[in-house]
Amino acid sequence: MSGLIFPAFICGLFCYLGAIECANPLGTTGSFYCLGRPLVAGLIVGLAFGDVTQGILCGVAVQAVFIANLSTGGATNSEITYASYGGIGLAMAATKDPALAVTLAVLVGNTFGLVFYNLRMAGYSVFNNKALEAAQAGSTKGVTLWHLVIPQICTFLLRFVPVFVAIIAGEGVVNSIAENAPEIVTHTIGVLGGILPALGIGMLMNIVVKEKIQLVFFFLGFALFAFAGLGTIPVVFIAATVAYIYFLATGKAAAAAPAATSSENAVYEDPDLF
Amino acid sequence: MSNNEPVIKRKDGKIGMNKHDLNMLWYRWQVGWFSSSSYEKLESHGFAWSYCDFADKFYKDDPEGKKRLLLRHSQFYNTEPQVGAIINGIVASMEEGIALGDPIPEEMPTSVKTALMGPLAGIGDSIIQGIFVPTLLSIGMSLAANGSVAGPIFYIVTWLICGLAISYGMFRYGYKLGLSSIDTLVGETSMRIMDAINVLGIIVVGTLAASMVAVSTIVQIPYGTEMGPLQDTLDGVFPCLLALIVTLVTWWMLNKKQWSAMKVLLVLVIAVIICCVIGFL
Repeated sequence: MSGLIFPAFICGLFCYLGAIECANPLGTTGSFYCLGRPLVAGLIVGLAFGDVTQGILCGVAVQAVFIANLSTGGATNSEITYASYGGIGLAMAATKDPALAVTLAVLVGNTFGLVFYNLRMAGYSVFNNKALEAAQAGSTKGVTLWHLVIPQICTFLLRFVPVFVAIIAGEGVVNSIAENAPEIVTHTIGVLGGILPALGIGMLMNIVVKEKIQLVFFFLGFALFAFAGLGTIPVVFIAATVAYIYFLATGKAAAAAPAATSSENAVYEDPDLF
Repeated sequence: MSNNEPVIKRKDGKIGMNKHDLNMLWYRWQVGWFSSSSYEKLESHGFAWSYCDFADKFYKDDPEGKKRLLLRHSQFYNTEPQVGAIINGIVASMEEGIALGDPIPEEMPTSVKTALMGPLAGIGDSIIQGIFVPTLLSIGMSLAANGSVAGPIFYIVTWLICGLAISYGMFRYGYKLGLSSIDTLVGETSMRIMDAINVLGIIVVGTLAASMVAVSTIVQIPYGTEMGPLQDTLDGVFPCLLALIVTLVTWWMLNKKQWSAMKVLLVLVIAVIICCVIGFL
C-alpha cells in the first residue's frame, strides 16, 4: 500500500497538469493536447510505477479508444484526462494488463470523469459572476483571483483527490473484480472499448464532412487501410496528393465561372441557360 | 533599452506595446484561456484575464476606461484557442489603438470577436482536433507498438513544436495585419486551401475509422457440414465492414438526428450490451 503513495501522487498531479482547464505553463498545447493524451500518460504513469514498457503498452491501448476525443463548445464525448491517469494508473497499480487499462479508462472516462467534468462546467458559473463583478469594478486583481487562482485550486482538488484516492483504494477492488467478474461483463466492456472510438470519429466527421458527396474521400481513406493495409504515414502522403489535386480542380472551376462562387451555382443562376 | 521599443512604430510618436507586453497578451491567453470555464461563459473570462497586464499599464490613469476594457472582454467568447489566437492578435492591435486614443469605436473589438469566433472555431477544430492531433498520435502509436519510448517522445516533440508555432504565429499574424489578416484568411485562395486541407482530413478520418474502430461478430454459420465464424467470411469479402457500419450509424445519429454526444454514447452502450447478451458480438 505505502509503495503506491508516490505513483498515486504522480497520477493525481498529472491528471491536473493535463486537464483542459489547467493553467499549464505551456497552455492548452502542453496540457490537454499533450500531457492529457493517453499515449503520453502511459509514459508518465509507467515512469511513476517503475515499468515504462508496460506503461507505454497500456497507453497505446487506451489511446486507440480515445484517438478521436473531441472538445467542442465545452462539450466532450469522454473525459480524456481522468481516463488517462485514472484508468492507466489503476491498471498499473493492479495487473498492468493493457486490456484492463482500456476497460478502466473507458469506465473512468465515460462515467466518473464526465460527472466531475460536468459538475465543474456547471458549478464554475459562480466564479464567472465574481470575475464579472471584478471586471465591472475595474479590478485586475479580482479578475485574476476569480478567473485563475480559485478555479485552479478547485480544479486541482477535483482532479488530484479522486485519482489519488482511486489508485490507493482501488487497487484491491480492481484486482478482486478483475479476478471474479463474470465473463459476459468483461467481454461486453472489451467490445465497448472497440466500438467507442466510433463516437469520436463520428464527431470528427461532423466537423470535416461538409457535404454528403465528400464521403467519397472518407471511403477512400477507409479502403486504403481496410483493403490496401496502409498505415497512417503513407495515407497522409496519398491524402496530401489528393488534396493538392482537389485544390487545383477547385481553381479551374472558379476560373471557368468567375461571376459565381462555384460552378454549381452558376448553372442555377444563369437565366439564359434554358 | 531595446526591450522597451514598441513593436510597431507609430507616426504620431505615441508609445504602444513593446515586445514583452505583446507576448504577455498571447501567453496569458495560452495559459488561462479555459481556467474558469463553465457551460455559461466558456472562454469569456480567459480573454479578460489576458488583458490584466495591458489594463494595468495602459489604463493606469483612466479607471473608467479600464472598467470598460475589462467588461467588454468578459462577454461570451468561445473559439479554438490555438488557431483562434489570430483573433487575439487582431483585437490586440485594436485595443492598442483605443488605448492610445485612435478613433476606433470601443464596440469594435467585441463585434470582431463575435463575428470571427464561430468561423475560426470551425477551421481550428477541423485542423487541430480533426487532422493534426489524430495524425501525429497514430504515428506515435505505431512507433510505440512494442512499448518503445520513441512513440510518446515523437508525439510530445512534434506536437509541442507545431501547436505552439501555430498559436504564436497566428497571434503575431493577426496583430501585424489587423483586420486585413482576415481577408487573407477567408479570401478565395485560402478558402480553397482550407477546403483542400479538409479533404486531407476526411481521408485521414476514414483511415482512423478503419484502423481504430474494432468490431467483430462471434456468430457461427454453417460451412457445408461444419460451423465456422461468420467474421472469416466478412473479412474475405469486406474487411472492417462492421466498423464501417457502426461509424456511419454513429455519424448519422450525430449529424442527421442531431443527438448529443451523451445520448449517442448511451445508445451505443445499450446496443453493445444487447448484442453481447444475444451473442452477436
